[in-house]
Amino acid sequence: MDSSLSGQAFPVRHKNLSVDIKGHKTDIILCSYDDHFLVIATQIGSMGTILHARKEEGVSIHPTFNVSVVFGKRDEPMLVACARQLIEHMSNSGSSRPLVLALGLRDHSVVQSQ
Amino acid sequence: METGGGGLNAAAAAIGMESIPDGLRIAEEETPSTGSSQSQINHNNNRVCGYIDCGVHITCFSEVSDNGTLHFQIIRLHKQIYAWIGCNSAKFGHLYAAAPTRPNNTVSVTSLLGGASDNTGSGIARRLALKTGLNADAEKKLVQKLINLGYTRPKSDGTSP
Repeated sequence: MDSSLSGQAFPVRHKNLSVDIKGHKTDIILCSYDDHFLVIATQIGSMGTILHARKEEGVSIHPTFNVSVVFGKRDEPMLVACARQLIEHMSNSGSSRPLVLALGLRDHSVVQSQ
Repeated sequence: METGGGGLNAAAAAIGMESIPDGLRIAEEETPSTGSSQSQINHNNNRVCGYIDCGVHITCFSEVSDNGTLHFQIIRLHKQIYAWIGCNSAKFGHLYAAAPTRPNNTVSVTSLLGGASDNTGSGIARRLALKTGLNADAEKKLVQKLINLGYTRPKSDGTSP
């Protein structure tokens, strides 16, 4: 007999928030699976461009990373750079899980931090 | 649902869809969400809002079936739905995208991460995009939940597309 599981923790943790970036409402969703992180940041109501970033196996003390666009815009290098920065930050924080990053942005220009 | 050494224990599908009509009421439902904090500037929690244009809706639930414990996660964006299914697993699995395509809205499916075009996950993604389903247990439960949440188009004359 099928039954719903109540009182048991859902195995995938997630967090979602909404922020305003240069006048655009931006929905951000973070999901933690056993073997991946999923991050969605969208201003357009859809996942947009999806990238896959992972740390490569190696013996060097300096880790290398592989970033690829699996869906969407392949001619926006800043999206790849964004995924590259995130995966490196994650690696430096001690996580070796790959990242699936979905960016649905209205403006791809770089904003200089004040 | 495939299990075992060569089978698929988890599948994720991003499903494109038309914009959901404004004003469509969704049954309010509180979803269990543990381990997630709610620190937000604009509060979006796991509770399904009463009307469509409330932003992102996340629905998570688990069910015990003959194949084991099935975990479902549905993320509804304004113009797209992301669905994840885990069978006794919280691994991400393979990722597929499916959407109606021109010229006659035939649903096309593609594998984005892992997987192939002819296995369980891609089939589920395609049928979810078509909003019909087979009798597979996990897919059936997911489709039923999508119907309950109001994310599917109403049936026309009962014939499958």
